[in-house]
Amino acid sequence: MTTPLRDLIKNPTPAELELVARYAMQPEDARRERAFTAFAGTGLPHRRMENWRWSDFKAQVKGVENPSEPSRHDPLEEGAAAVFRFTPTGFEYSAKLPAGLRMLAKPEAQAFGGAEDMPLGALAAALSGSKTRPATLMLEVTGSDLPRIHFAFDGEGEANFGRVVVLIRPGAALTVSESYTGGAGFSSVLFEYGLQDKAQLDRIVYQRGADDEAIAVTAAINLEESAEVRQTVLAFGAKIARIETRVTHQKENAKAVLNAAYLAGAGKHIDLTSHVRHGAQHCVTEQITKGAVLDGGTGVFQGKFHVPRKAGQYTNADMQHQALLLEQGAVVFAKPELEIYADDVECAHGNTCGALDENQLFYMRQRGIPEVQARALLTRAFVMEALDGAGMLGDILAHEVGAWLD
Amino acid sequence: MLKIDNLSATVGEGEDVKTIINGLTLEVPAGEVHAIMGPNGAGKSTLSYVLTGRAGYEVTGGSATLNGADVLEMDPEVRAAAGLFLSFQYPVEIPGVPVMTFVRTAMNAQRKQRGEDEISAPDFIKLSREVAGKLKLTPEMLKRPVNVGFSGGEKKRLEIYQMMMLSPKFLILDETDSGLDIDALKTVSDGVNAMRDPERGMLVITHYQRLLDHIKPDKVHVLAGGKIIKTGGPELALRLEGEGYDGVLGEAG
Repeated sequence: MTTPLRDLIKNPTPAELELVARYAMQPEDARRERAFTAFAGTGLPHRRMENWRWSDFKAQVKGVENPSEPSRHDPLEEGAAAVFRFTPTGFEYSAKLPAGLRMLAKPEAQAFGGAEDMPLGALAAALSGSKTRPATLMLEVTGSDLPRIHFAFDGEGEANFGRVVVLIRPGAALTVSESYTGGAGFSSVLFEYGLQDKAQLDRIVYQRGADDEAIAVTAAINLEESAEVRQTVLAFGAKIARIETRVTHQKENAKAVLNAAYLAGAGKHIDLTSHVRHGAQHCVTEQITKGAVLDGGTGVFQGKFHVPRKAGQYTNADMQHQALLLEQGAVVFAKPELEIYADDVECAHGNTCGALDENQLFYMRQRGIPEVQARALLTRAFVMEALDGAGMLGDILAHEVGAWLD
Repeated sequence: MLKIDNLSATVGEGEDVKTIINGLTLEVPAGEVHAIMGPNGAGKSTLSYVLTGRAGYEVTGGSATLNGADVLEMDPEVRAAAGLFLSFQYPVEIPGVPVMTFVRTAMNAQRKQRGEDEISAPDFIKLSREVAGKLKLTPEMLKRPVNVGFSGGEKKRLEIYQMMMLSPKFLILDETDSGLDIDALKTVSDGVNAMRDPERGMLVITHYQRLLDHIKPDKVHVLAGGKIIKTGGPELALRLEGEGYDGVLGEAG
């Protein structure tokens, strides 16, 4: 005997009722059901949940299909060898897939655990796909010199849910870009990246949404022996936006580089949350997050390194978060956490929030640079430090930062 | 050229307001180099900040004009475009902004303010190469962020580089000799001397007579208690070196 769907969520909001209705329209599937049940345990996450205290989706998501602005320009699509486009009815792709990359028709990999900790990731898994499209896009990478592939998420005025699983086989390498350019009242996407021994992943994420959009991007990245992930995020926020990354070092000598820059203007909320579990010895994590926030904007940084007593021995991990409050009225919440039980580790963290340096501003103005330009130059230099790892896309991201500052 | 008349300025707010410049009068004609010497706390650096428009100082009386234009009414960047350049006692580090980008941005901003065309990239690079060569600055140094990782001497040379690139009408050198060894002092002084011009004035602020062996002033002023209390030729600097400020000030008081 199963619980009637409408009773899955306690005291549901109108938006949650809509989500239940959407789930009811999906074909029956045991995995979807598990995912939705996990989501229903909390409903839309809210401020009384410790990990969501500054990003209250329950309060902010009023409806699922509320009309909004069309999606923004996607700066990363050009130049990609293959583009997967996610729309409210599933995904489509145009180009022939490059050699070394193929789609898996049947799920050949188990979904990762831990969905109960990622309510919006579980929701994405429950609602992705449609009657005519599989719930999950699964890709397998066997090549090591593939051109970049791109995932585009634009909502076309509806809700948008997607789930992608990417398996990177031993020694294989992949560069992916993901753009979340809004256009949906509410969207949630779950990415699961499995990096097998010595696999490499470069992940570049671009997010920009409108004042009435809610966006959640959840990624689980599992690293096996000597696997390496380099992640670069540039996010401008939305009414509420959360980019959550959960990395698990599963085997020895894995390395994760997590870089992010956020720029929040008036009416924008951007939450960068990460959780890194050092579940194997001799693993490395380097994380730098830089933010700049204007009056009426909100930035959230939550970072956690979890280093178990035996498994996490010889961990080397560094977490830095630095935010610029560019105007009175800018708000930044930061919670860096190191949870370390192992005794032979090198772990460090730093967290600063402040205004632009008056000495620097005066020096620049004394040389003839007008104040507005000096502020933009300093802010750009500040956040660009976090975007150095974006490789060839660094110039595009720099241009986006510059355009925002102008 | 630069005319300061009965200037007074305060620093601080509320009960902490302190008068630092107190009825200062000074005129530097075009083509001349004037030195300002004085004991610690006399107001030397404050004078340079008040003239260039740093926040935190309030002008409470008097005037300062450059070629007849009231500089005290202008924003700092407008003063720069009008030709006022300050070589900082402690040049500021600007991480993430390479020297070349910084100076070219400054140069073009000044030109725009004056209604002139931007400098072309080839012209800028050619000029930069010439100036850097004179100051023994390597191309690699000019690619680094402004003042980041520069030694004290390199920072001062970079100030002179900016000065020569921007070619201002009036120079204020604030303790340019501090932190310099003998060789660097010579390089910096040669740079400053190369800027001497019948159309250009200079105000050289210093603690010690040493710098004035290299940059020969036309006049020396002694600043104490926020005003000029004595003016003389280069020999005044030598006397200060010999007798100390107490000796010379005692006589003036």
